[in-house]
Amino acid sequence: MKTVKILGSGCANCKKLEAVAREAATSAGIEAEFLKVTDMKAILAYDMLSTPGLVIDEKLVSSGRIPTQAEIRQWMVVS
Amino acid sequence: MADMDTFLHLMNGGAGNLAAYLAAHVLLCLLPAFFIAGAMAALIPKASITRWLGRSAPYRVSYPAAATAGSLLAVCSCTIVPLFAGVYKKGAGLGPAITFLFFAPAGNVLALAYTGGILGAEFAFARLVLSLLFGIGIGMLMAMLFWRDDDTHDQQTDALFAEQARIGPATTGVLLSLVAVLIAGTLKVSLLTTTVGALTLPLPWAEAWQATLFQWVPFDAAKGEEGVSVQGSLLIILLLLIGLSAWKGLENIVEGANRWTWIALGLTAATLLIAAMRLTPRADGLEFALTGRALAVGLTLWAVLHHARQLESDGWRAWLWESWRFVKQIFALLVVGVFIVGVIRQLIQPEWIQNLAGSNTLLANAVAVVFGVFMYFPTLVEVPVARMFLDLGMHRGPLLAYLMADPELSLQSILMVAAVIGRRKTFTYIGLVAVFSTAAGLLYGAWVDGMNPVWIAIGLAVFLGSLAALLAWTLGRRTAPAHA
Repeated sequence: MKTVKILGSGCANCKKLEAVAREAATSAGIEAEFLKVTDMKAILAYDMLSTPGLVIDEKLVSSGRIPTQAEIRQWMVVS
Repeated sequence: MADMDTFLHLMNGGAGNLAAYLAAHVLLCLLPAFFIAGAMAALIPKASITRWLGRSAPYRVSYPAAATAGSLLAVCSCTIVPLFAGVYKKGAGLGPAITFLFFAPAGNVLALAYTGGILGAEFAFARLVLSLLFGIGIGMLMAMLFWRDDDTHDQQTDALFAEQARIGPATTGVLLSLVAVLIAGTLKVSLLTTTVGALTLPLPWAEAWQATLFQWVPFDAAKGEEGVSVQGSLLIILLLLIGLSAWKGLENIVEGANRWTWIALGLTAATLLIAAMRLTPRADGLEFALTGRALAVGLTLWAVLHHARQLESDGWRAWLWESWRFVKQIFALLVVGVFIVGVIRQLIQPEWIQNLAGSNTLLANAVAVVFGVFMYFPTLVEVPVARMFLDLGMHRGPLLAYLMADPELSLQSILMVAAVIGRRKTFTYIGLVAVFSTAAGLLYGAWVDGMNPVWIAIGLAVFLGSLAALLAWTLGRRTAPAHA
């Protein structure tokens, strides 16, 4: 069971990232819990300068862009 | 019956305004600007600029870097809030963070291109220069006022700002050739406006169609209104087609391109080329006049394609996605906003505006700033609103004051800033923006009225001097009891 956090204040890219990450988890058959983090202070606790950010099991794997499904699947398997 | 007439009159005003804004000269600046904004968001590595914004950066580096970040990185709210908070809490501190925040809405490419297209290049230039100067000024004043608070930086490493990155040659090529498209499409020189050749297509219905269009959207040239031309109607149809194909082709571009992607991009290029030509309905058909502008746009578009092919697949996919996202986020609101502005324009009497802000007085500038602070318009809609005021007889000085205050201070941005830096600093910031915007309007207005530049420089010096004296006095009063 993975914990996936989407960091972002609700802008279009954050919604897109969540959709891509959900599809990645489903297609890889990985069970994951998705959490949306919208509070600015909580977001800034991670070292990043632009949203959306993707956190898998408390590790920041990408920020400021939308990764592809393949990338996300790999991060989910590795971490 | 009278009510019905009024309603129709208002709807006509809205439709006419919208049609005028979808005309060729606006598209030629707005379409490339969306692609430039997308390229900046997707292809410029943030670390290439943010590394100058760390805690150890000296003033003379961090303020210009903050302004650069404002114009190059901040086209999207996804970047503005985290970068503002990051620079304030973990980086260079309050001053550069405020400079970034102030300069971003006026200095980004979308705002500049659109202001230039609607209000004129000179006005866009004045907005850019004054926002830059005053953005740095306000940042420094905030840093001076709250210097003690700045010591409460998070005691973290500078790791966030230490990362280095370079802008690759393919990215530079794409950005420069996109800017070239923008310039080729908007510059008013005879080389570009001259007609090279003409071709008449046998479309006998063109003239009748033009008559129908003028009947649908009546216009009053004396009021500065524009009607819909045959060319305009063709461009509107093309825009709708781009929208439809982009929905299918660009929505999932991150996973790869499909047939619709190329259709959408091809239609975009066609739209730009047609917008650069001159279409005239004649008795025997529709005349396509090939202008120097059309050739230049074609040539620069080819350059964009040439450089874009050298981007990595991740790069150009992210670029197209960001551009499409800006279009989705901004264009729909802009269309609605322009329509509403057209309706409202029919309701405002020019005398009201001329009495209130027809000349460059302190009161006129202050009223313009207050209006800007209390009104909230979505991104870029402030520009057509400004155009409306200009057409109704507002002086250009107060107009600039309004344009500086409005996008900087909206309820949304005030709440955001307050959450990061607290209420006391936020209210000080609002006060400073109001004062500086009024001063900017007065100065620019004086210049428009033909005042001697020496006097304007003296005015600026007096303004800055008295502000500094006032600050020194407040600081002295606040520190004095601490020593007693």
